[in-house]
Amino acid sequence: MPDNEINVGGTLIWYYYVCKREVWLMGRQITADQDDTNVILGRFFAEQSYGREKKEIAFGHMKFDVVRKDRHGLVVAEVKKSSKHIKSAKMQLAFYLWELSQKGIKARGELLFPKEKRRELVELTDELIDNLLEAKRDILRIIYDSIPPEAEKKQICRNCAYAEFCWS
Amino acid sequence: MKKTIYIFNDGQLKRKGNTLYFESEEQKKYLPVEDVGELMVFGEVSLNKKFLEFASQKEIIIHYFSYYGYYMGSFYPREHLNSGHMILKQAEHYLDEEERIRIARQFVSGAARNIRQVLRYYNNRVGGISETLNRVDEVIMSLDDCHDISRLMAAEGNIRDRYYRVFDIITRNPDFPFEERSRRPPRNHLNTLISFGNSLMYTIVLSEIYRTHLDPRIGYLHATNFRRFSLNLDLAEIFKPIIVDRVIFSVLGKKMITVNDFEEEGEGIMMKDRARKTFVQELDAKLKTTIKHKGIGRPVSYRRIIRLELYKLEKHLIGEKFYEPFIAQW
Repeated sequence: MPDNEINVGGTLIWYYYVCKREVWLMGRQITADQDDTNVILGRFFAEQSYGREKKEIAFGHMKFDVVRKDRHGLVVAEVKKSSKHIKSAKMQLAFYLWELSQKGIKARGELLFPKEKRRELVELTDELIDNLLEAKRDILRIIYDSIPPEAEKKQICRNCAYAEFCWS
Repeated sequence: MKKTIYIFNDGQLKRKGNTLYFESEEQKKYLPVEDVGELMVFGEVSLNKKFLEFASQKEIIIHYFSYYGYYMGSFYPREHLNSGHMILKQAEHYLDEEERIRIARQFVSGAARNIRQVLRYYNNRVGGISETLNRVDEVIMSLDDCHDISRLMAAEGNIRDRYYRVFDIITRNPDFPFEERSRRPPRNHLNTLISFGNSLMYTIVLSEIYRTHLDPRIGYLHATNFRRFSLNLDLAEIFKPIIVDRVIFSVLGKKMITVNDFEEEGEGIMMKDRARKTFVQELDAKLKTTIKHKGIGRPVSYRRIIRLELYKLEKHLIGEKFYEPFIAQW
């Protein structure tokens, strides 16, 4: 069963809304250039941020940055560096909410952009669930394709660690 | 871009906190670990397991050269980039004779066409090479008819033979006659330079392969059996004429290296440290030289071009785009 062979997790959902080609490459473990400045910085901050590590709450394969309870119930929050890829972030969080709901846990989501002093609420709606299921199917279709989707030059290619792979 | 560190002095390599530390009689030097991509060790250097663990964790390759300057081997840390898909594809293309020759042919063709570019440049400058150029062109044309590896190897040997025979016209330096290709040990000065440069090229390509999902043990032109690494030898063919040979012509032309920089050693000729340092510096400068790349849309260094070449091979292997070798534009 393909669903067991490839676990379509939150990260693939994130990539799906950024670049479909990246989904194929990540799905095949063809990771991006590890010498890329942004990748090095990311790795460095991940290694250094011990304080953050303690706050992370693992639930199955999902990791939440913040979990809290208010009078309406459970809230899980995802902290992002910027709101540049807000659609991707929203869908990733919605995906976690959906996975929680499958386990019988009802929760609401919150996207936090501390640098921008901004927050965005995400609530799981039927429409979002439909979109997610569609995305999940499409992700599997992409990954099972024998070759990756063709590269398209977009704005994000400028800062992407796959750029040299794609455009060589 | 991470640095290549060349160590010529004798001494000790240690881990000190989170840095690499080299200590010799003349110097004590800290090498910030995040800055180091690879180590090239020429001197008598001792190190311990703690150091190797650190190098491995930081994904630093260590290449060793003997007292005579020959490549001895590499400390190739465990693979850090794994893609089952890529490895399967790489092996599949080796096992399928038809697919293997298609890739091998591109390597030979790339090497030959870059040799041609070097020859064309010198034919315009000093002349007297047009006959050789024509012959090389003919062999290039015949590559499509080579349907097995041995014929392809023979064609490549043929081109290289003709190419080396005009080195005297190119260098115009009577102290450095080509005579004939000799290895292990090289028997004259020019051959020593060629061997030294080629060894460096093999290790540089190997270091770049380490940073991709390719396995250096599976080559296409050079057979995979009986050897540890072979894919680096394949790719190096393309870059030897435009990087190594051009550095040789440049250091000889500018008299940066002279016959006094060599000494006889048994049956061969070896370079003194000063000459090795000069060569390595020039090679490093060459690798940092940038050229404009159409696809990427900004200047990229020759070192980066080697990586891009590996990416192109990866794209060929996953079935995305037929591999075409890099050909210098001048």
